[in-house]
Amino acid sequence: MSMKTGASRRKTSVVLAATLAMGTMMVSHAALAQTRLLETGSSLLYPLFNLWVPVYGKSHPGVQITTQSTGSGTGISEAVSGIAQIGASDAYMSNAQIKMHPAILNIPLTISSQMINYNLPGLNGRHLRLSGPVLADMYSGKIRYWDAPAVRAMNPGVRLPHQQIVLIHRTDGSGDTFIFSQYLSFSTPSWNNSVGYGTTISWPAVQGGIGAEGNPGMVNACKGTPYSIAYIGISFKQAIEKAGLGEAMLKNRAGRFVLPEPKTIGAAVQAMASHTPADERISLVFAPGAESYPIINYEYAIVNANQDGKTAGAVKEFFSWALSHGNSPYFMKQVGFVPLPPAIVKLSEAQIAKIH
Amino acid sequence: MSTVTSTLERPLSKRRQIRLSRRIVSLGGWTLSGLCLLVLSVLMVWILMVVFLRGAGALKWATFATITQGNGGGLKNAIEGTLVLSVGALLLAVPFGVASGIYAAEYPNSPWAKTIRFLADVLVGVPSIVVGYFGYVAMVQWMGWNFSVAGGSIALAIICLPYICRTTELALRQVSNDLRDAAYSLGANERRVVLGVCLPAAMPSVLTGVLLALAVSVGETAPLLYTAGWSNFMWDGHLIKSPIGYLTYAIWTFINEPFASANRLAYAAAFLVTGFVLIINVLARFVLERRARQ
Amino acid sequence: MKFRAWLALVAGILPVILLSVVLFLALYSKQAIHFNGWGFVVRNTWNLGNLYMDPIMRHGFQVQPGATYGILFLIVGTLLSTLFALLFAVPVGIGAAIFLAEAIPSHLRTWISFFVELLMAIPSVVFGLWGYVVVIPFLSRHFFPLLAATLGRLIPFFAGPTGSGYSLLTASIVLALMIVPIIAATLRDALVSQPVSLREAALGLGATRFEALWKVILPGARKTLIGATFLALGRALGETMAVLMVSGNALNYLPHNIYDPISTMAAFIVSQLDSALQDPTGMAVRSLAEIAFVLAIISVIVNGLARLLLLVWNNGQRTAAV
Repeated sequence: MSMKTGASRRKTSVVLAATLAMGTMMVSHAALAQTRLLETGSSLLYPLFNLWVPVYGKSHPGVQITTQSTGSGTGISEAVSGIAQIGASDAYMSNAQIKMHPAILNIPLTISSQMINYNLPGLNGRHLRLSGPVLADMYSGKIRYWDAPAVRAMNPGVRLPHQQIVLIHRTDGSGDTFIFSQYLSFSTPSWNNSVGYGTTISWPAVQGGIGAEGNPGMVNACKGTPYSIAYIGISFKQAIEKAGLGEAMLKNRAGRFVLPEPKTIGAAVQAMASHTPADERISLVFAPGAESYPIINYEYAIVNANQDGKTAGAVKEFFSWALSHGNSPYFMKQVGFVPLPPAIVKLSEAQIAKIH
Repeated sequence: MSTVTSTLERPLSKRRQIRLSRRIVSLGGWTLSGLCLLVLSVLMVWILMVVFLRGAGALKWATFATITQGNGGGLKNAIEGTLVLSVGALLLAVPFGVASGIYAAEYPNSPWAKTIRFLADVLVGVPSIVVGYFGYVAMVQWMGWNFSVAGGSIALAIICLPYICRTTELALRQVSNDLRDAAYSLGANERRVVLGVCLPAAMPSVLTGVLLALAVSVGETAPLLYTAGWSNFMWDGHLIKSPIGYLTYAIWTFINEPFASANRLAYAAAFLVTGFVLIINVLARFVLERRARQ
Repeated sequence: MKFRAWLALVAGILPVILLSVVLFLALYSKQAIHFNGWGFVVRNTWNLGNLYMDPIMRHGFQVQPGATYGILFLIVGTLLSTLFALLFAVPVGIGAAIFLAEAIPSHLRTWISFFVELLMAIPSVVFGLWGYVVVIPFLSRHFFPLLAATLGRLIPFFAGPTGSGYSLLTASIVLALMIVPIIAATLRDALVSQPVSLREAALGLGATRFEALWKVILPGARKTLIGATFLALGRALGETMAVLMVSGNALNYLPHNIYDPISTMAAFIVSQLDSALQDPTGMAVRSLAEIAFVLAIISVIVNGLARLLLLVWNNGQRTAAV
């Protein structure tokens, strides 16, 4: 990754590019260029960006924003390499990454949460109860069947089938994997010591496990596979309901089982937000509090503080809009997100001011 | 010969019996092989039906007139992108491919021509994702082009080059040597004979090869994913540092979405790509068939 | 002379490109090759390490703690899917070629073979779409349970659980369909071009038409069949998009039965590049380049061998399949 683009290489690249013999078209098009921004990354944030961009485009016709659902991993790496101007990520960058790229900012734009979904024919209408340790045991292959004692004990009165659990995980570098594995790590020491957390983790080898691309791929794989389980971003709740999949109640730090709702997500935000540092890189997962839903997170825009003059202005303006208009109930309700608390908006604004 | 005579000498009834059992085996053989062909044809029809029926239902005027917006909109940007990338690839690959093809055909027994011919065949077999990863490492990162038309076109050109080389060579080899001899006897030099006489004579077949290469590049995905990127908007005219959309990406990404509007885009894109590729192949076949008959 | 030299020079672009693809990948993955050693191909763990800890030095290379790169599951997935694809494709290809060459009148033959061979022109991603949308649901609901209940009783590798439909068998079936036309087309050409006298001699000896074909004509085309099979093998090894969409992207485990998910080297490169870019030390991206390098070498060898076989046996005559 340490491939630098020296001035000489740039020169060769231009010469080579010219050999494409399409130079004439360059001039005519470039003249009427608008500011183009490429947003790429988190498939969890993608539905929200798709709501934002058309509305924003109407009031800001000079800016064209391409949205792309590629996974948080790509969001981070393409923002770092400059391929994309805005990287979208459910995960903040690691200390090592920040040390290597000190100019990259992690700016929360809104708050999201994650569902645990399953496809249990006949039981999808019920909210199964699951905990971090039980999920960790499933994903490390210690619990192989739906009617395992640990799952049964947690769900008295539910007739669980004796069927093998099909585990679905993300293949792309994913913020959903990041927050899901944080939930497992923070709640289950053995998982923390063996697998840990990250946007990509080394999934324990469990027979029959499927890899899926992005949240959409997770929904489709879960829908098409009876007895499967998956972790899916809240912005796909409508898709989950349409697909008729089940949604689990999760055990929080206080030991209570909760669903991701504005109330429980709000409680978790309340418990964690005040700890947020100035660079805003912090996990909100497994928050204390009786009402707190355990898997929530900041949705980050990953952006380089050093931009071209015109791009910097466009990016700043868009982010400011996202923090104000973009966090309005009209948008938040459609994707199941909750707005940033005022104190966090201030921190984000301070970071946005660094872009130039 | 002794077996024949012995068969003939056997009593008639016994000969009949052997013939019958062997006939049954033969019949079974024909049935099995016919079944194989039937299975292939049925699967082919199945694929075409899925693509064309669902694709036709998904095609609307808006598909051609609007750009992609999130999980809906149209494919105008992707259609343009596919054309730009493929034309770019051909602009790069045709001069080199035709020149190598000419060399391989006109000097068929030189060691260099044999090497070229052999390596062209080997290059055809290099997986397209390998070319794509090479493109990512070399062009996106090392050259610093980011996702770009240039990167995508060059990756596609690498894939097309051997096709064009081999089809050009074949086309020139079909030009009769009488024509060459006649041209030489009139005092023309090598360049005149090849470029002025042989190449024009072979031109329809050469162009057919170029068309087939176009079909290949329109259908490719793997070499473009990490070189051309994707864009929701029309091409801005820049060759580097500006990603571009293309139809095969739309197939791959939008079929994976749980939204019907996105799936429709995927089917529409599949319809366009498959339709285009098949039309080119049918056309090419007609041209080649006609020339073979002449 | 000048013209010829100039042409020779331009034609040099082909070797240059092939060489630079292989060399570039080799150079780029050099560190990974040193770091991973031979264990790369026998280890069964692809682990980027803990991405949220600081990099450490190991064996003189900077990597994330816990990083190990092994691709045994990819090699097995690639080989098994290719092998099963060939097991389906070779017999079907032979059958189709026989029927096309011998049983169908020649004026129809051209167009029917053309129709079937059009399979070759259909883009990989369209096969993937078809596999993803219709084949997976069909197989997992109807065919796999049936197969497990019948053949599964005899052969353990075919026994259940039948899983999700994303599987080794699905990938092999889709792959088979993609490579059948290569075998069918090449072999059909060879059958048609066998000398008429051979067949007449066999018929004259009292053989039925099928016997003449099976015992005399087909053995004559054996070498072409082997060459074409190698070509098909090369194509199957490197096939990317279709496999990516139907194989289930198995990670770090080997298939226990034919319904288990797999992943192949080519598909893994596509699905893992963005994850690999998360590794701040860059070792993951270089290890992926090592996979691409290995795949490039394998495909050069397989295709080179196939072409050499066809070239030597056919006395330089060209085969139908490009």
